[in-house]
Amino acid sequence: MQLAGQQSNRAIGSSDRLKLIGLSLLAALMLAAIAYQAASSGRDAMLVTSVFATRFLGIFVEAVPFLLLGSITSGLIETFVKSDDIMRILPRNRLGAALGGAFLGLVFPVCECGVVPVARRLFSKGTPVSLGVAFLLAAPFMNPIVFASTYIAFGFGPVFIGRIIVTILVAVIVGVVLGSFAKPAAALKPIALGGGHDEHAHCEHEAPSTRAKLLDALGIAADEFFEMGRFLIFGSILAALMQTLVPQESLLALGTGPIFSVVFMQILAYVLSVCSTVDSFLALAFVNSFTTGAIVSFLSFGPMVDIKSTLMFTGVFRRRIVLYLILLPFVMNLLAGSLINLILGYT
Amino acid sequence: MTAARHKHEAQIDRVAWAKSLILFGMGIYLALLMLTGNLDNYINLRFAWLVVVGALLFVLLGLVNLYSCLHPQAKEHSHRHYQISWDIILVVAFPLLLAILIPSRALGIEAVNGGVSLSPVGISSVTRSPLDRNILDWLREFDRAATPAQFNGSPVDVIGFVYREPLHPEDGFMIARFTLSCCVADAFPIGMPVIAAGAREYTAGEWLRVQGQLKAKAFGADFLPVVMAEAVERVDEPRQPYLYP
Repeated sequence: MQLAGQQSNRAIGSSDRLKLIGLSLLAALMLAAIAYQAASSGRDAMLVTSVFATRFLGIFVEAVPFLLLGSITSGLIETFVKSDDIMRILPRNRLGAALGGAFLGLVFPVCECGVVPVARRLFSKGTPVSLGVAFLLAAPFMNPIVFASTYIAFGFGPVFIGRIIVTILVAVIVGVVLGSFAKPAAALKPIALGGGHDEHAHCEHEAPSTRAKLLDALGIAADEFFEMGRFLIFGSILAALMQTLVPQESLLALGTGPIFSVVFMQILAYVLSVCSTVDSFLALAFVNSFTTGAIVSFLSFGPMVDIKSTLMFTGVFRRRIVLYLILLPFVMNLLAGSLINLILGYT
Repeated sequence: MTAARHKHEAQIDRVAWAKSLILFGMGIYLALLMLTGNLDNYINLRFAWLVVVGALLFVLLGLVNLYSCLHPQAKEHSHRHYQISWDIILVVAFPLLLAILIPSRALGIEAVNGGVSLSPVGISSVTRSPLDRNILDWLREFDRAATPAQFNGSPVDVIGFVYREPLHPEDGFMIARFTLSCCVADAFPIGMPVIAAGAREYTAGEWLRVQGQLKAKAFGADFLPVVMAEAVERVDEPRQPYLYP
């Protein structure tokens, strides 16, 4: 978080105006799309806009409480939790460590925006690569808030169960694979190997009061909400535009192939970069036209790897490992989603 | 150097005020959705409590943010990781702008994309007496039944909006509703075929209450129970426009 944050801050400072121009262009494009669609289908442009607004606000209103809960948790962890104690009780052998890492998210309830800094802290404490990687991939889903949002969106069914199984399997396997051929020194950047500056030590040094810490946590939470909220908003805009403007037949054409639909949804998950606490509500927009395997893969791959986490990975891992961290989960989730479609027959 | 730095700090300060404004704005927006009943247009009311939680958390974060605006020295010890810039503020303000500029409406006929389904959504074992059944209840009954003819003569009393397709007969249309499991992202249109005298008088999208009897017959390309309307009356859009599976 702080690493990628600092890097992007510099970028924002120098190209603020450019970004605003980009945003206005995007807005103009959206309006043009709505106007074109309305004109070509003989619908009233105002009505189409209204349908878009309803769909967008529906996703946003349902998702935003979860984003807030996630942001606040992240702020609290940042200011209150020390990772040392938990580290001591975790297994050290490769498979055990990977399994422990996959379930560690239940103790550190972070979404993918918070997972990289926590993982980096774990690595700096000498965590095995397998544990850290499994934690990195599984933690964004393996937490009570994401369980709740997935359950509310899909109920207790194939999507909910599939998401749990696929996430744990992929996280553990990638953890073991990377752990067995990469020594920490070969996998991690020097800064993540204990060199990074330790904010919590700094905190303890000054010994701020609990009240000050709490205020600090909520301040971080608000920033986190803005930082992550924009991904939710972009994602919701795209989902709502798609539902409003793309004819159902075209969606069905994309969404019914047992393998292609999975590839499509995984690429979409990567591009959208939506927070794991709220991605279930975006996935809902696709349930009527896409295969179940594609939905499960969207939900299990998205939290592992996306544009924003890739940026963060590059701050912790060496480049070759970053590549594996993207490709291995992509291929394995694709495999899992396709198998769900082809063998279990959920299409 | 100091001038540039002051300018920079003033900039951060204005962003901080904008953040407070948005946080409070979001909290007020969610609260207003509850109070005006417009929340019905967006999500399944089963999850209305989530919106209450959201509104309270927004106000909490807004207060903390306001506090740090008023006491800038309190921020010196904090470990802020992000510097929120104006483009982020603008993006996060987008939902509020949309909510202010575009009047809140439920999804209606113009949101039907790719036809209205004749199959039910979800499963339920609840059985209501025929006159209390809504469109979703009826489709579930049809789904369970051995033959469409077993409903012949059943009385029907349903509310929905008019939906037409070119295949529909001259004196027929479908009476449709959107179902909502979680939020409008999963809204799905379902409907029952209706045969009514003067069917052409009703325009697509108009809300109707249709009373009549069921009769199994051909409608478009399907053979299924069709509502033979005895009384059709124009009604207002219901307060809860969606059916919850």
